Amino acid sequence: MWQLIRHGLNGKKPFQRMWRTHTLKDSYDVVIIGGGVHGLAAAYYLARDHGITNVAVLEKRYIGSGGSGRNTTIIRSNYLTPEGVAFYDESVKLYEELSLDLNFNVMFSQRGHLTLAHNDSSVRTMRWRAEVNQIQGVNSRLIYPDEIAKLCPHLDLSDHPRYPILAALYHPPGGIIRHDAVVWGYARGADQRGVHIHQMTEVTGIDVEHGRVAGVQTSRGKIKTGVVLNATAGWCTLIADMAGVRLPITTHPLQATVTEALKPFLDTVIVSGSLHVYVSQSDRGELVMGASIDPYTSYSLDSTLGFLESLSGHMIELFPFLSRVKILRQWAGVCDMTVDYSPIMGYTPVEGFLVDVGWGTYGFKAGPVSGKRMAELIATHKTPELLKPFRLSRFEEGRLVGEKGAASVGH
Amino acid sequence: MASSISMQTHRLPPAPSQIINREKVVTFTFEGKEYSAYEGDTIASALAAAGITTFSRSFKYHRRRGLLCCAGNCPNCLVQVGEEPNVRSCVTPAQQGMKVGAQNVFPSLDVDMMSSTQLVDRFLPAGFYYKAFMRPAALWPLYEKVLRNAAGLGEVDTDAQPGYYDKVYKHADVTVVGGGLAGMQSALAAADADARVILIESEAQLGGHLRYSGQSRGETAVHIQATSLAAKVAAHPNIEVMKNTLAFGRYDHNWIGAVQGNRLIKLRTKSLVVATGAYEIPPVFENNDLPGIMLGSAVRRLIHLYGVVSGTTAVVVSANPRGLETALKLIRVGVKVAAVADMRAELDAELVAQLQEHGVIVLPQTTVIKAESGMTRLESVHLRSLDGCHQREVSCDLLVLSTGFMPANELLLQAGAKVAWDETLNEFVLASLPENVFAAGEVTGSHNETDIVREGELAGLQAALAAGFDGNNRAQSLRLRVAPLQARIDELQTEIKQTREQRTAWTAAQLAEQAGKKDFVCFCEDVTSKDIKQSIDEGYDSMELLKRYSTVSMGPCQGKMCNVNALRVCAHYNGQTISETGTTTTRPPVKPVMMGALGGRLMEPVRVTPMHDWHVKRGAKMMNAGVWKRPEHYGNPIEEVRAVRERVGLIDISTLGKFHLHGKDVPALLERLYVNRWRKLGVGRVRYGVMLNNEAVVMDDGVTACLRDDFYYMTATSSGASSVYEWIESWLQGGWKLDVHLLDATELRAAMNLTGPYAREVLQKVCEGIDLSNAAFPYMHAREGKVAGIDALLLRVGFTGELGYEIHVPSGYGLHVWQALMSAGKEFGILPFGVEAQRVMRLEKGHIIVGQDTDGLSNPLESGLEGLVKLDKEDFIGKTSLVFASEYGIEKRLVGFEMPDGTLPEEGNQIVRVGNGPIGLEIIGRITSVRRSPTLNKVIGLCWLPAEMCDVGQEFSIRVRGELKRGRVAKLPFYDAEGVRLNS
Repeated sequence: MWQLIRHGLNGKKPFQRMWRTHTLKDSYDVVIIGGGVHGLAAAYYLARDHGITNVAVLEKRYIGSGGSGRNTTIIRSNYLTPEGVAFYDESVKLYEELSLDLNFNVMFSQRGHLTLAHNDSSVRTMRWRAEVNQIQGVNSRLIYPDEIAKLCPHLDLSDHPRYPILAALYHPPGGIIRHDAVVWGYARGADQRGVHIHQMTEVTGIDVEHGRVAGVQTSRGKIKTGVVLNATAGWCTLIADMAGVRLPITTHPLQATVTEALKPFLDTVIVSGSLHVYVSQSDRGELVMGASIDPYTSYSLDSTLGFLESLSGHMIELFPFLSRVKILRQWAGVCDMTVDYSPIMGYTPVEGFLVDVGWGTYGFKAGPVSGKRMAELIATHKTPELLKPFRLSRFEEGRLVGEKGAASVGH
Repeated sequence: MASSISMQTHRLPPAPSQIINREKVVTFTFEGKEYSAYEGDTIASALAAAGITTFSRSFKYHRRRGLLCCAGNCPNCLVQVGEEPNVRSCVTPAQQGMKVGAQNVFPSLDVDMMSSTQLVDRFLPAGFYYKAFMRPAALWPLYEKVLRNAAGLGEVDTDAQPGYYDKVYKHADVTVVGGGLAGMQSALAAADADARVILIESEAQLGGHLRYSGQSRGETAVHIQATSLAAKVAAHPNIEVMKNTLAFGRYDHNWIGAVQGNRLIKLRTKSLVVATGAYEIPPVFENNDLPGIMLGSAVRRLIHLYGVVSGTTAVVVSANPRGLETALKLIRVGVKVAAVADMRAELDAELVAQLQEHGVIVLPQTTVIKAESGMTRLESVHLRSLDGCHQREVSCDLLVLSTGFMPANELLLQAGAKVAWDETLNEFVLASLPENVFAAGEVTGSHNETDIVREGELAGLQAALAAGFDGNNRAQSLRLRVAPLQARIDELQTEIKQTREQRTAWTAAQLAEQAGKKDFVCFCEDVTSKDIKQSIDEGYDSMELLKRYSTVSMGPCQGKMCNVNALRVCAHYNGQTISETGTTTTRPPVKPVMMGALGGRLMEPVRVTPMHDWHVKRGAKMMNAGVWKRPEHYGNPIEEVRAVRERVGLIDISTLGKFHLHGKDVPALLERLYVNRWRKLGVGRVRYGVMLNNEAVVMDDGVTACLRDDFYYMTATSSGASSVYEWIESWLQGGWKLDVHLLDATELRAAMNLTGPYAREVLQKVCEGIDLSNAAFPYMHAREGKVAGIDALLLRVGFTGELGYEIHVPSGYGLHVWQALMSAGKEFGILPFGVEAQRVMRLEKGHIIVGQDTDGLSNPLESGLEGLVKLDKEDFIGKTSLVFASEYGIEKRLVGFEMPDGTLPEEGNQIVRVGNGPIGLEIIGRITSVRRSPTLNKVIGLCWLPAEMCDVGQEFSIRVRGELKRGRVAKLPFYDAEGVRLNS
């Protein structure tokens, strides 16, 4: 606030630069590939918590240009499995502190999160989630139409819709955030502590010698390093491939859209698995909406008309009065899907090559906790308890995590 | 009443180019006051005719905004019309009784308290909210509420009714978007080459800017030429014209989304011609947003189409001939032109001479640097020579800006076209076009009519040629004409190449450094050049970061007015060229599109079985089961259970997935789909099977009957039916090359399960051609015969645990057979039963429901299905993963349990033990199914437990409504363990 007032009174003095540009050094202690929330958070916590500052973050385009800038900004921890809940709960707690921590208002708005149940099997799943959440200390419970009406009076709670609303999982700490601000805040924090952020720097190869990482080749030159963290999304398999690591991941498009700005009428985040839709109203007044991943694998960032049609149709099922509200913009991102709808974090068979990938449609929610815990892993060489369930080897061991029920349309 | 209607003080006398009908008058209200409009008027033209200059307040500073573009591109005329927010009043026809109001103003458009934000604007730089409102953290929700209430534009009427919407599919050889000169030429050229053409025009008439250019060619006014060309287009048998239609998106493979009123048009076209013209854009200078500042095209539109002129004394700032022409036009309609400033050095001598004849001062190499306002609108402008030596202030109430264009190339960019900044033209021009996409007219950077006509014809011919060569019959006739077509294409290409090299700039290079304040780059979001400089200083130095931080181009116009200006300012402060700076991505829709039109009517019909009405009449409580409606019960599920256990019951199971599998390789297919063996299933036999996915997770279950060696009948669960169909089909199409044909018979057949001790006696009464005796038709066998005179397939299976016959008949006879069985069963006390009774009985029998008792990880070895799995089989889907899992060991199992104290837990309750979780508990399992069994008179269920806790009698704790209760592992099944009743 003070910097604003100071700037206002003395307009000539510019604000401090958020991050600097650097020449690419010959070597870094740690190279992080991917300038999204995961990569930048890892860099930030490496520098802040572990004093490791000789770190480069390499970003092919501009920071936040991937999933971090394309998601629908929903934060929550009401997952289905105990390991998932514990993990995302730490993330929500870090998000709650983030504005003050970074001295940058990321506008985390804990306006409550409702996952609607339209049939008895989803009611059962919601109760299951609520029970798991409560035992894990997460505020989450099953509520019925009378209480739903108080939280979101404009939902069509009658029995007229094709899929009437029977109940909802209510998660008060869930909410929305200004996603770009999270990226920028972490970038500034990392930069201030000496991390080099290299935008417009594409990784073209990873050098592996005798089973160890030796360096990274980029569009701007070669870097020597013993530690590489693959924190990319959408193309994580291609990056891993450069190190000779195969990941059990397929890539699917995920689309989203916003309406023109409207005066606020929707306070909570609304999710409906049956209708494949989630929606929140941003602080700008736009309805931000998304659906489940496209069923086909693709790296395409092109939008489809089919998405707009089905999303609009389903939105009007929930809110019949939205017919005359207009779609302003649609876009797409690409998501790395694992079979158990859970990420892959930790070591790989190549020494010094770590992954923080497979983030499907839930990566943004986990940015702070994965950054913090991956930094801990890199610094201490000890896998934190929270990361253990998400190890790469689980696919060989037949020990999958099983978040499909809560994550497939679970925004 | 009529006397209170505001007078149309700014209306000009009738002229031939006008599209209003002065005979027909409608009235509407704006901000509570009544106004009149002529038929053909837009809301904005009618208000402008009444002298209204303020149409809206800006987003951040709540500054007055007036008409700028009059073409539905900018945000300045956004209003609320009744229940519809964010309506572009300049392109929306005025209709009788409309209630039009300003948006985001408090208390009113005229007195808007929120404009006080301007007084503290120095404390509200770009992105101010990222730097404030953090401390104390507890107050953020309050701050946020204030911010939220200040944001947003129109209001949603939450009582609004959805209305009627529609979708149409169309197909074309050539689709031309844009019905201006280039588009009409394209359409005619393509249509003359025999292509079926659809011409899409967003406005109500064809003709584009010719309609309001005000020019004459020889004796004929240009708008007359446009009209006659339009008539030729309309009369052409190969052209379908769609007016008032916005082509908002070009998706992969020339799939075009367009919207016409409440109707979505989905159009597949072989080739696409984009002839969408260009957006006129304003320059950046201090107070460039004042009401009274308008684009030249807007002024001409108002004059020529609506007979409205919005001012008495004008200054024209120009950079192309159209600006000078507009000045002349203004003089002709009686507006005093106080000065014409033109940024060019060499002006069109003839136009200058004409202006000077009227005593107008024409200032070459001069631009506007500042505007000043009176109470509500523009009062004067400051003009300055480009070298900075001369400056003058000129009083005026209308400033006309004709200084630049941006190609309306969104559809081209969506299609993958590349554009490049042309330093000579100061405009984006096309660098490359994707296959089967063409462009013509102003969208390519050509503003000269000869060029536009040529380009139109060329694009039309190329599009027709591209559409014709796909080998179909119509193409044959086209191909015969290819040679002359190609010759003409070559000729046009040569001509266009020559004239392209001589094109001159129609868009002025702007002053690089902006000195003033409140010089708006982005009108939607109130972003000034100072905001952009500040953002770049802070590090947001690429266009994409700049857009996200400063919000430039993120508003309703999506960059139509501001992209080029933002790019210029950004490039300047970065010390880069515009080419180096690069653009942001263009995304659909081109202009905002109503969700109602996109969504249409929800094409997800409620599915009901042939017996649905009978159930309803019988008083069934219907429930949603996936996409189906099913009876949950008919009033008393416990009584229904009792009826089946003691007498006989009938349940509608038409929702089951039902598949016909034909071909000699069906057994081989079944071997791969299911975990158990199928090769030796004889004709007339039925077997239960479980399907896994690749990860060995249980996907579905059901029974399959062998009816002939090459014909099997498979059932799947109701909820799994469609995914099982897709799953099998994907494997069949995926390279196995099996001789199997799969038919989804789910809706072809009705099915019902007649079950209970008297099932055989009831069936006997209506069944012909089948020996029902236990010896002749034993458990897990199938027979075909007649039931109630109808060909039926009978499967003797037993989900309920009693003697039972599934009867599958053609859907159309479902109700007939159902009623026949109900009548036949009357003497045995038959009851219809619903899903709830069935759930209780299957639980008593220990049968699992896939997806309820199993989850996204459950493999069959742990789900109580291990007896079924044949790991020594050659292969089946999921076998590899299952072998992995079995080698690593089974950690949990699905088992039966009872509640010794009779507590009824809820499905989804967790099994816990004391641990160090936040509430001192650790999750070790969960309840998947539980019921109070009326038959056994105790609480029974299924649950997941750690493998080492699964011995019968083992006790465990369940968290039920927050309290811990004891459960005890029980042996499955709970009922008729020996299967005596099934086999009876």
